[in-house]
Amino acid sequence: MLKIIVPTTMLLPMTWMSKHNMIWINATVHSLLISLISLSLLNQLSDNSLNFSLMFFSDSLSTPLLILTTWLLPLMLMASQSHLSKETTTRKKLYITMLILLQLFLIMTFTATELILFYILFEATLVPTLIIITRWGNQTERLSAGLYFLFYTLAGSLPLLVALVYIQNTMGSLNFLIIHYWSHPLSNTWSNIFMWLACIMAFMVKMPLYGLHLWLPKAHVEAPIAGSMVLAAVLLKLGGYGMMRITTILNPLTNYMAYPFLMLSMWGMIMTSSICLRQTDLKSLIAYSSVSHMALVIVAIMIQTPWSFMGATALMIAHGLTSSMLFCLANTNYERVHSRTMILARGLQTFLPLMATWWLMASLTNLALPPSINLIGELLIIMSSFSWSNITIILMGANMMITALYSLYMLIMTQRGKYSHHINNIKPSFTRENTLMALHMLPLLLLTLNPKMILGPLYC
Amino acid sequence: MLRRTLWLGLRRGLLGRELGTRRGGSTLGKVEGSGGYHGSGMPPMSSHVTFRTWDPWPRSEDSGSLEEGISYLPELVQSGQVYGSRGCPSQYSQASTVLSVGGIRQQFSLPENIQLSLFSAEFLRNINEYLAVVDDPPLDLQFNPSGYLFLASEKGAATMENNVKVQRQEGAKVCLMSPEQLRKKFPWINTEGVALASYGLENEGWFDPWCLLQGLRRKVQSMGVLFCQGEVTRFVSSSTHMETISGEEVTLKRIHEVQVKMDCSQEYQPVECAIVVNAAGAWSGQIAELAGVGKGLPGTLQGTKLPVEPRKRYVYLWHCPQGPGLEAPLVADLSGVYFRREGLGNKYLGGCSPAEEEEPDPGNLEVDHDFFQEKVWPPLAWRVPAFETLKVQRAWAGYYDYNTFDQNGVVGPHPLIVNMYFATGFSGHGLQQAPAVGRAVAEMVLEGHFQTINLSPFLFTRFYLGEKALEHCIL
Repeated sequence: MLKIIVPTTMLLPMTWMSKHNMIWINATVHSLLISLISLSLLNQLSDNSLNFSLMFFSDSLSTPLLILTTWLLPLMLMASQSHLSKETTTRKKLYITMLILLQLFLIMTFTATELILFYILFEATLVPTLIIITRWGNQTERLSAGLYFLFYTLAGSLPLLVALVYIQNTMGSLNFLIIHYWSHPLSNTWSNIFMWLACIMAFMVKMPLYGLHLWLPKAHVEAPIAGSMVLAAVLLKLGGYGMMRITTILNPLTNYMAYPFLMLSMWGMIMTSSICLRQTDLKSLIAYSSVSHMALVIVAIMIQTPWSFMGATALMIAHGLTSSMLFCLANTNYERVHSRTMILARGLQTFLPLMATWWLMASLTNLALPPSINLIGELLIIMSSFSWSNITIILMGANMMITALYSLYMLIMTQRGKYSHHINNIKPSFTRENTLMALHMLPLLLLTLNPKMILGPLYC
Repeated sequence: MLRRTLWLGLRRGLLGRELGTRRGGSTLGKVEGSGGYHGSGMPPMSSHVTFRTWDPWPRSEDSGSLEEGISYLPELVQSGQVYGSRGCPSQYSQASTVLSVGGIRQQFSLPENIQLSLFSAEFLRNINEYLAVVDDPPLDLQFNPSGYLFLASEKGAATMENNVKVQRQEGAKVCLMSPEQLRKKFPWINTEGVALASYGLENEGWFDPWCLLQGLRRKVQSMGVLFCQGEVTRFVSSSTHMETISGEEVTLKRIHEVQVKMDCSQEYQPVECAIVVNAAGAWSGQIAELAGVGKGLPGTLQGTKLPVEPRKRYVYLWHCPQGPGLEAPLVADLSGVYFRREGLGNKYLGGCSPAEEEEPDPGNLEVDHDFFQEKVWPPLAWRVPAFETLKVQRAWAGYYDYNTFDQNGVVGPHPLIVNMYFATGFSGHGLQQAPAVGRAVAEMVLEGHFQTINLSPFLFTRFYLGEKALEHCIL
């Protein structure tokens, strides 16, 4: 792991010591190299995990998420170049520092062995994100967005700290690899129920669960592009990852404690998808679609079957790439028209046909078109939830239909139709933007050919 | 506390950023040096403001609409920020809307004008459905459907008949009256010199413009629009040089920021916007100049100015105990004098458009009472003998946003400044066409073309092409 952590840490002094015209180049190229290093972790030797040290390990659940994180940093840097071009050099370097710090914390979170270390870094990721949202967001609402984001997540995760300390006291160790073997079934007492809740709520808020999702549209919409990308692609998956790890020690309470969350998630899926159909703000639409996809992941993790875990991991990776790509596309729109309202910039296909191709591909993967990995994830989840209870197929089916509806609605609204008069002189697509989209799409398409590496530890 | 310091810190940081030229692949437009100094302390609002919307006709985020009176409000595409473009004591005190006589008629000669007024009449009839706000009382527009009565001499009778034919085709209910019928219906009129009269039977009359304005304000505020007050001092824009299909070079401009000076202070606030709607009424010409409309060689599209200027018009309120009764419509005499009943106590409002040579100075809103004595009273008393004894109680003056080209509105985008839309220049009938014009601009912004009423004769390009959309009508 040090081969990833140390270069990431060293990105910081490199940024600060770069010359003004080399900031972006240095940071982007070196972070791309780091992401190539992380690819070597895919070589999982056994069904168990790769243990690098007492503190860090990686197994087939955390490896894809880790690669997603490291892959995303150069993409975030590429996406941020334009809106930061008017800032002073120090501000630019500060921004890049925030991104690198976030990357560092995320890498360590996904590979932490000790659950307390995981918790500390889980909380630590909030700080650079908060700074990015409140300092570099575009509208006044960013302040309230930052508050919502910070306090929702903090309030959800403080009980987790208490629960972890309790578990440490009772079981003697929080080393993830060890408590697997030491955990005994939890008896059905009130204190165990509260402990179950304490462990899960932090991740429920992060996912987010439907009733606790208010922070997400605000944070995603008000954040600048890099903030939106990392929030949608990686930070939401922290919740999923944490849940998958912690539910191993929470049996058998999960069997019945999961019901309220399952109900909320399934209902929330339909609700948030329907809200997407009525959104006028483009980024808000993509944010709500994230809630909807993550609700599927919550359902999968709560029912705890091998197929559902496979579906959850696949969907997390697929959604990370797709959602991040949609935010980048929305940002290219915003930079030209300076408005996030979908209806204001229409008929873009006439002006920017290549960008329309990227829009098409992103919308198609968003609606889980076969044979993309989005479909693999959703299909596995739907099948496993059907076998858990037949009735869920109605809700899941309705959700898939509404997802298709709003994805196509977004595509047609922005790309097709007669163009508005005020986009007559928008700048053509930059190579940087096309590269950005290609770098999002390429992993998605390549993974279609070999999805087993993202299917997680339960793939057999 | 943390919020304040955060914000202050951000604010200072933003202040320190100089307003430079824009970078990027396109050629740069010239940006003049900044005039006012940056105010210190907490500004009234932040630099980038955004607005929520829940309406199926969403609005442009950060779209600045420079309004002076009523014309922008009916756009259910709302402006993110709305600026009154007059200085300190604003609050609509100089806006033409509230100083208006408040009439609505369909008796125009251009079919587009007729259609606009027809829709506006229907809007006003159903105003409590269009502008309903939860928990607020319904609006009482005090619409008096008394109609308009136009009088024509022998010379103008043929034109009037043609006009009425067009109006009937469009669906307006107008009837033509001979002098005998006129005398029978309105015995207080002296029909000497009148050959024909056209009387609007439905959808014509007058209403309370202030009520309409407040209703619109209330509704759009409930939908999330932010109203701000200040004076627009400059636009920050960028230009791109492009080529048309035929190969000629053209420079398209895009407005990025509107700088608004706060009332009674030197502070100014840059507001980033996606779309600017120029609905500044009598001052639209000045605003357009600020945006760069008309900066070029005369005779070219760049050099075509927006020919809207303020023209002062007087309105007099008098009391005449023997005057026409409740059935009196808004009478427009062939001499240009008009009057209507006001209230139920024998009070009347009226005025006259002065001749070209005698245009009063639009610098202030002072009323010239001699104008009434010399120019308005004699024809009035001739036409309605009861008005020989009257007493003027009040008078005020208001501005027409007078379109010097053809006295009809300018609606639609500017061909070269791609994100500036016009909704101005209605030369005295802005109030009655406002709802329909608002809808038309909304359609233009959202769909790219006019959908319900085709207002292409009112586009800006007609100034360059020289195609006048003239009204063959008085008033």
